[in-house]
Amino acid sequence: MTDNPKGWKPGARRKAKIDALAQAAGQVQDAGTVADTPGVSLIASAWRRLRRDRVFLIGLTITVLFLLVALFAPLLAPHDPTARLLLDKVRPQSNPIPGPEPGFPLGADNVGRDLLSRLIVGSRQTLLVCVFATLFSLIGGLILGTLAGAFGGWIDSVVMRFVDIMLSIPSLLLAFSVAAMAARPSQWTVILAISIAYLPIFARLLRGSMLAQRHSDHVLAARALGVKQAPIIFRHMLPNSLGPVIVQATLVLATAVIDAAALSFLGLGNPDDRQPEWGQMLGAAQKYIYDYPHLAFYPAACIILVAFGFTLMGESLREALDPKSRR
Amino acid sequence: MTTRAYAADTRSGQALLSVRDLSVVFQRHGEQPFAAVDGVSFEVRPGQTVGLVGESGSGKSVTSLAIMGLLPARGNRVTGVADFDGTDLLKLSSGDMRDRRGKDLGMIFQDPLSSLNPVVPIGVQVTEVLERHKGMSRKAAMPKAREMLDKVGIPDPDRRLKDYPHQLSGGMRQRALIAMALACEPRVLIADEPTTALDVTIQAQILQLLGDLVRDSGTALIMITHDLGVVAGLCDEVNVMYGGRIVERGLRHDLFAAPRHPYTHGLLGSIPRLDGQRGEPLIPIPGSVADNLPWDHACAFAPRCFQPIDVCRSQTPGFVEDGASALRCHNPVGSPHGHTAQPDHAEVNDQ
Amino acid sequence: MTAAAEQTHAQPGDVLVDVQGIKVHFPIKKGVIFDKTIGYVYAVDGVDLQIRRGETYGLVGESGCGKSTLGRAILNLEPPTEGKVVFDGTDIASLRGEELRRKRQHMQMVFQDPLSSLDPRQSVESLLLEGMKAHGLVKDTKAANARLRELLKAVGLPAASLQKYPHEFSGGQRQRIGIARALAVDPQLIVADEPVSALDVSVQAQVINLLEDLQDRFGLTYLVVAHDLAVVRHISDRVGVMYLGALVEEAAADDLYAAPMHPYTRALMSAVPVPDPVVEDRRERILLNGDLPSPANPPKGCRFHTRCPWRQPTQCDTDRPALRVVSIDGVPETHRVACHFAEGIASGELQPHKVEAEVVDPHLGESDAHGSLIGPATTVEVTDTP
Repeated sequence: MTDNPKGWKPGARRKAKIDALAQAAGQVQDAGTVADTPGVSLIASAWRRLRRDRVFLIGLTITVLFLLVALFAPLLAPHDPTARLLLDKVRPQSNPIPGPEPGFPLGADNVGRDLLSRLIVGSRQTLLVCVFATLFSLIGGLILGTLAGAFGGWIDSVVMRFVDIMLSIPSLLLAFSVAAMAARPSQWTVILAISIAYLPIFARLLRGSMLAQRHSDHVLAARALGVKQAPIIFRHMLPNSLGPVIVQATLVLATAVIDAAALSFLGLGNPDDRQPEWGQMLGAAQKYIYDYPHLAFYPAACIILVAFGFTLMGESLREALDPKSRR
Repeated sequence: MTTRAYAADTRSGQALLSVRDLSVVFQRHGEQPFAAVDGVSFEVRPGQTVGLVGESGSGKSVTSLAIMGLLPARGNRVTGVADFDGTDLLKLSSGDMRDRRGKDLGMIFQDPLSSLNPVVPIGVQVTEVLERHKGMSRKAAMPKAREMLDKVGIPDPDRRLKDYPHQLSGGMRQRALIAMALACEPRVLIADEPTTALDVTIQAQILQLLGDLVRDSGTALIMITHDLGVVAGLCDEVNVMYGGRIVERGLRHDLFAAPRHPYTHGLLGSIPRLDGQRGEPLIPIPGSVADNLPWDHACAFAPRCFQPIDVCRSQTPGFVEDGASALRCHNPVGSPHGHTAQPDHAEVNDQ
Repeated sequence: MTAAAEQTHAQPGDVLVDVQGIKVHFPIKKGVIFDKTIGYVYAVDGVDLQIRRGETYGLVGESGCGKSTLGRAILNLEPPTEGKVVFDGTDIASLRGEELRRKRQHMQMVFQDPLSSLDPRQSVESLLLEGMKAHGLVKDTKAANARLRELLKAVGLPAASLQKYPHEFSGGQRQRIGIARALAVDPQLIVADEPVSALDVSVQAQVINLLEDLQDRFGLTYLVVAHDLAVVRHISDRVGVMYLGALVEEAAADDLYAAPMHPYTRALMSAVPVPDPVVEDRRERILLNGDLPSPANPPKGCRFHTRCPWRQPTQCDTDRPALRVVSIDGVPETHRVACHFAEGIASGELQPHKVEAEVVDPHLGESDAHGSLIGPATTVEVTDTP
């Protein structure tokens, strides 16, 4: 360190004066006070807000209930969902759908299988499809979005043109095409179809916020500091860009439930009706929709409720993670 | 009582807008109520320029929004009186207030771009004000709009009438906004940091313009700013706000020559002056507004004050008016111990 | 620019940063599928300046003048289009990649907005450690911890700050964190871009004093970029005034204030409000007219001629003046002006006259954060406020 070359700056005198003033004031140092409590990170403060958010709690309750039901479906279901227990009650001409009876609160379907049990076990397929579809599209979107957003330039152009082409096809149509191309439809073709349909949305979203981060002051600050490229991307740009993507993922969970149902409804899902699925149940119910609407109502209500739960969570997450709402 | 004495003291004439004991309390559900403005009183006469000076969080902008009825409808409680020529503005319905805004009360904001509608040409935005408040047809209003643009110094006003806000530079946008605010010849103009977003050379133009307009038209101007330099050049009377309250008031020359509140004193000592002695250290005010005490049982500024006494932390200082000046301080600068709490009903015949 | 002129200056200290003919031109691109460059924004267009070790060089100008871009170009955060930046013997402008990254240890930056320049997800501890780790300055945890405490103490923050996050501090405290981060790697040069303009008035002085104090203690060299002439004058030893991508005047801070010579400097200085009614009432204002020309299409000749009240026929419109030493008694050689008629203006031989305001489309190239470039006036005057 070199000596101060300046003669005129009466540093010592100034400091003495300030110190004297601060002493006189007695309490506040120049910089002001800092509370002696542990720091609160962004995630912690978002969680604090969420904990008090009624909308989030409702969404969370619905989602957790759904997860528990799916997890413990075999224990919860009163009967074997594949057993044709009420087959003897089915009268193809006069009464094709047996109504509620003791032990069968919702009645049975056209081959005498317990409706409640099928709904409960059906949650597993729905959960499997929506979680994996969202996860795969999220991973794919993260990779493409990070590539495009972190490097920009021609990599960005190539990736984004590809993504644009995918985006130009309506997502459900894209999912139908992918599912229809599969030789043997199964839940995995549904998952694949939905993840391909949503991948470009994640990619574009992430790329957008990564680009914004690239030009942000704190990334410039990290560059000015001499931080290496990889930590800048993975420690600064990516984590700060994830907020909107996480929110979108919650919302995609909801739409994936509906899309999966739609694909199964159209017969592009798992054809094996020994593995019940809500969309597939809905599809099967359409033959009887005028006389026995309850057959369609229950699976439809389940789909709506679960999608609603995910959406509530997503919306409150969006609000909690929005820096503008923070105080 | 005191206000009347003071009114006659500075300038002849009745107060045009008299704000008395204005408070704005914000309350968000599940949180402590927060008084952003706490018992603020001041008045302004025709042709007079009154400054409200303070930093962020001082309540100066909230004061202006409350007077203009522009605070959000929910989440806050406004009390007090804003007497405009015999009408209490705070009691008016939102519809009646809308009629007043633009006609009797004009307002200019800090950011001219976001205050203008981006998809409507400037000319139409000016004529709209005239249509609404003067019942003029658009055709009849157009020449008047042109005249207004010319008056605020926008070159080539015919062409600019057809321009959209983004086609104007920052300084010109602020001029257009002033033209809109003045189109119906309001009797009170509130300018909320009108030059903060502008460069100094442009700021000088806008301040000159505002000064000329007030002088020529007799409009009362309330100037809200954080910049003591702006106040020094423009305002007849200065109110210094801190933590939602006015802590010192004075005529321009008196206040700058001998600031009595430690906060005013500290502010003046902490800004570098272009004409000051270089090498002289700045004396900062320690801490930040986060260190404030609540006004209820103390002086909010006490923790940052350079000469607090015991009573500063235990008693709310009263607002003591003395002629044209007023002070809220237990231990003002220059009189370390002998400040009485009795308001001094000053002699009237100063001029 | 001759080195000889520099040597004669009274200030001790060698040249730490030597900026030679630096230019930063941003391409303006247009096109649906393939971008085509249709023009350039001449943000910085030929600047020479020297910063000596241990001094504070102030760069002042209005938004859009290119001062922030120049600050970044000197650090090669914005790669210069042309020119050299010799820092301590090495040309920074030509360095790339790892070499450049290593060099960053010696030149740091302090930003305008203390909140947006701190990663909201990092605690103060990790913020401060990051630079030290990047340059291999962390040997063991114990030493690092001691160093962190020392840094916080240097900028006047309590040790409890380490575990906290940027959003938990006030504006002034955040700026202190930003300064501590820059200090952490033990730099020689700090470029401070509008270090106090985002802060409350009462807090600005704290940060200004802190910067001065740290300079005294650590022998730092500063380049302070700001629009506030009063702040720049207070903190700087030498000041450069920028207009439309170039320096128009450079002098020791006191000389510049005592005798501003360039018409733009005069106008700028006369426009800065002074918190003193007595001064304000007596001041002579030089109100500029017309818009700031677009940096994408700068005027030929002297860049200021479109708004200059002292503009003279032909030469101002055609010849671009370079910084030069004026031949006036009592004006030191370090006071340089880019004006053809500085002598005549200073002696009063040339008098200001009316300028026709020109309307400029603000569209081409607004680059600065302030966004508001311009302001016109129909009345063109040199007013004497009574």
